[in-house]
Amino acid sequence: MLTFAWASLVVLAALAAWAWRVRQRTAGLERRLVQASRELEALQQSFARFAPHEVVEDIIAQGVSTRSETKEVTVLFADLKGFTSIAERLEPARLVTLLNGYFEAMGQAIVSHRGHLAKFIGDGLLALFGALELNPWQTNDALHAALAMRSALAAYNARLRAEGLPPLAAGIGIHRGPVVAGVLGNAALMEYGVIGRTVNLAARVEDLTRVHDTDILVTESVRAHCDRRFRLRPLPPVEARGLPAPLVTFAVEAFDGT
Amino acid sequence: MALSETAARMEWGACWLEPAPIPRALATEVRRSTGGGLPVWASRLAPLPWLARAFARLTEKRLAHMPLALWDLIGLIVSQDNSCRYCYGAMRTVLKVLGHDDAYVDRIERDVHLAELSRTEQAALEFARRVSHANPRPAAGELEDLARAGFSRPAIAEIAYAAASSVFANRVATLLALPPEPFEGWVDRPLARLLRPLVARRLRARRVAPEPLPRPNDGPCAAVVAALAGSPVARVLREVIDDALASPVLPRRTKLLMLAVIGRALGCRPSEVEAAEGLRGAGFTPDDVSEVLANLGSPKLDGREVLLVPFARETVRYRNAAIQRHTHELWERLGTQEVLEAIGIAALANGVCRLSVLLEAC
Repeated sequence: MLTFAWASLVVLAALAAWAWRVRQRTAGLERRLVQASRELEALQQSFARFAPHEVVEDIIAQGVSTRSETKEVTVLFADLKGFTSIAERLEPARLVTLLNGYFEAMGQAIVSHRGHLAKFIGDGLLALFGALELNPWQTNDALHAALAMRSALAAYNARLRAEGLPPLAAGIGIHRGPVVAGVLGNAALMEYGVIGRTVNLAARVEDLTRVHDTDILVTESVRAHCDRRFRLRPLPPVEARGLPAPLVTFAVEAFDGT
Repeated sequence: MALSETAARMEWGACWLEPAPIPRALATEVRRSTGGGLPVWASRLAPLPWLARAFARLTEKRLAHMPLALWDLIGLIVSQDNSCRYCYGAMRTVLKVLGHDDAYVDRIERDVHLAELSRTEQAALEFARRVSHANPRPAAGELEDLARAGFSRPAIAEIAYAAASSVFANRVATLLALPPEPFEGWVDRPLARLLRPLVARRLRARRVAPEPLPRPNDGPCAAVVAALAGSPVARVLREVIDDALASPVLPRRTKLLMLAVIGRALGCRPSEVEAAEGLRGAGFTPDDVSEVLANLGSPKLDGREVLLVPFARETVRYRNAAIQRHTHELWERLGTQEVLEAIGIAALANGVCRLSVLLEAC
C-alpha cells in the first residue's frame, strides 16, 4: 500500500515536473514570438522609409514584391564637383568622414522636405519626391530641398574650413516626369528604385551645372510645375550627352515667399 | 506585450495645453457620450466647446448596421497604425474592460490574419487600416470585396466611418500630445477587476435603429454625409461639420481652405471641389483656389492662413515629434482657441476626406 502511494507520488511529481517544463518552454517560445514580432514591426517601420507601404506589405507577406508601376515623380540628382582631386589629396579615413558628413547634411535637407533618399552613387546621391506617397507638391518640395541643401552645404563648408579641410561644391539637377518604380535587383541584393528617361535626364541636368557654372539647375517640366515664387533664371540651351536636342534649363536663385 | 511596452515605443511629447474648467452642460453631454466618465480630452478641449462635443459624438458607438464588436478593434488598429499613444492606450484599456486579454489584443496588433477572427472581420479590419492609410486610397474594388465578404452597403459605410472617426481622434490627440488616461492604470487593480462587468456595459457599442439622411444636407462634405445614408452616424457627421463651420473663431474661408488642401493631399476630389465652391462666396475665384492648392500659398491669404494652409498639409501624414512641435509653435503664435479650431478642422477634414472612399462605388 505504502509502495503504491510512493509510486503515485513519484508519478505525480514526474508529471508535475514535465508540466512545469512544458510551461516554461511555452513561455520561452511566447517571449521569443513577442520579440520577433517587435523586431518585425520595427523592420516594417524602417522599410516604410525606403519603399511604399504596399511594397513593404508584399515583402513581409511573400518575401518579394513584383509590384511595379509608372508614376510621376520629381527626381533630384546631386554630385560633388572636383571631388576626385580632393579624394587624391586626403587620407582615406578623413575622406570617408568628410563624405559622410556631407551625406548627413544633404540627407537631412532632403528628408525634412518630404524627399526620399533613394541611393548614394559614389559622391553623388539620388533623391525622389512623390515616389513613396501621393504628393501633389512634390516639385515645390524638391526645390525647397535643393535650397536647403545649398544652405546646409554652406554651413558644412564653414565647419570644414575651421578644421583645415577643403570646402565642397555640389551640383544639383532636378527633373519631373514619369518613371517606372518597383523593387529592382537579384536574390542577393534588392532595392526599391526607379528607372526611365526622367532619371537619366536629371543626371544630365546635374552635369550641366558645370557648363553653366551654377549649383542648382531645373528643367522646363520643373519650371511648369513649381511655385512662381521660386526665382528662376533661364539659361541658353546646351547640348547634353545622350539627348537628341539641346536642353533648356533654369538656374534656381531663391524663393521669394515665406 | 503589455500596453506600456508598445506605448513606450511611440514618439510622444508633453501636452502644452493646460486643462480648463468644463462648463456643466458640456460635461453632461460628454458624460452621456462616454458612458459616464470625463476623459482627459474633455478639459483640454473645453475652451472650444464644438470640438469637445465633436470628439464625444464622433467617437460615440451608436451603430445601426456594422458588427458592434468591430468598432473597438478598428479603433485599436487605426490608432496603432497612426502611432497615437493616447488613443492606442485608451482603446487597449477599453478592450481589456470588455473582456479581451492582453494576448488576444497582441495577436490582433501583430497580424489580424493570425488572431481568432472570422474572415469577414479580418477583411473589415484590413479595409479600415487602408482607409486610414489612404496611401493609396482604397479603390472601388476593395468595397466590392467587402460586399462579397458579406457586409451590406450601409455596414461598409459604418466600417469606413469607424476608421474615419479614429483618424479624427488620433489627430486631435496626437497634435495636442494628450497625456494617457488615468483609466489605463486603474484597469488592472483588484477592485477594478470586480467592477469590470459593470463598466463594460457602459463601454459597449450600442445597436440603434437606422435613420434617414439628415435634411438639409448641403454645403461642404454633403456627398460624404449622403454616402452614410441609413446610419445614425450620417446625422452626427452632418451636425459636427455644420458646428465646426459655424464656429466664429476662425473665418469660414480659412476652414474651407484647410479642407481643400487636405482633400488635395489625399486625392479626394469631391472635398476639394465642394470647398472650392464654398470659397467662391468668400471672394476666392477658381484661379485663386488653384493657386493656393498648387503652392500652399498666395498673396490672397491673410497672415493666419499663411500659417494654417501649410499646417493643414502637415496633418495628413506626419512624424509625431515633428507635428507636435509644429502645433506647439502655432499655439505660441495664435493662442489656444484658434489652434484648437485649426486642429479640429484639420482632424475633421482628414476623417471626411478618407471617408470619401465611399463615393468610389457611387
